[in-house]
Amino acid sequence: MTTASPVMPHSPGLSVEESVLTADAGLQEARSASDVARDAAFERDALPWLDDVYRFALSLTREESDADDVVQETFLRAYRSWHTFIPGTDCRRWLFTICRNVFLRSRERQRPTVDLEDGEQDAVAAGSVYAAARERGYDDIYARLDLAPALRDALDELAEPFRSAVILVDVEDLSYESAAEVMGVPIGTVRSRLFRGRRLLQEKLATVAEDLGFHGAGAP
Amino acid sequence: MMSAPARSKLESLGLSASCAEVLSHLWDYLDEQITPTSAARLEAHIATCPQCRQYEEYQECFLRAMSNLKQELSAPSSLRERLAARLKGQGCGCWDKVSRQP
Repeated sequence: MTTASPVMPHSPGLSVEESVLTADAGLQEARSASDVARDAAFERDALPWLDDVYRFALSLTREESDADDVVQETFLRAYRSWHTFIPGTDCRRWLFTICRNVFLRSRERQRPTVDLEDGEQDAVAAGSVYAAARERGYDDIYARLDLAPALRDALDELAEPFRSAVILVDVEDLSYESAAEVMGVPIGTVRSRLFRGRRLLQEKLATVAEDLGFHGAGAP
Repeated sequence: MMSAPARSKLESLGLSASCAEVLSHLWDYLDEQITPTSAARLEAHIATCPQCRQYEEYQECFLRAMSNLKQELSAPSSLRERLAARLKGQGCGCWDKVSRQP
């Protein structure tokens, strides 16, 4: 009885052992080339958004040290999951999505269960805020005062999920569609949260205006 | 179409019921989320209604103020260094690009 030796394909002129070594080296080389390509893509597509992700993380966490942690975790996850990123799509949006998820998990926040008003109610409510501002003479407050500090404070106090919607659309200038992807909700939900968030901010600003004793140009 | 109670509420605020469409869709309009036809209809109304024009200006100012909040904040160098070290630990070949300022 003869024992059949395994047939090892190998290059002419090389021993089997040499062929195996050459094949291993080739695999190693191929893996390295793949790694190099991935790293180049990560450097080109992801790293340029570091400042944007940091700014977004800071607006979510409100604390620099927390933002640092969230940003690091975001980029590490992005790097480890780079194979799931679809080349040619919006990498900034993809990073924002990871960033927001990292933030929510870090705070162990539950999915929001706030009752959202429908669009009509929000429209009426927004009109009410404006009517009150007009009546009290500070309907031109945005044009006449530097409200940036008050706006930042109001934004900090704004509850999730409204804050994310307002930051993504109004501050970071994402479309409803992109914000919906980042937040993992339908576009209509982004719209509702955005409108509600804006209205809540305007209510807070109206309070600031009252506290400052602000009167519009035409008010007595 | 806005419901009767909503219209009534608007009227009680001194806002004309005929402005209801503007009130309902102004943010959609400012966010460029409505069709050109709808946008043209709103624009036509706003052009002839001082009250709605003021309301539009009020909301535009608000959105401008929000947009101005986008600070050109850069990631601190300490964060870049920490991130670079962690990416290096993951075998990332471009870790040294993180710590460089853009």
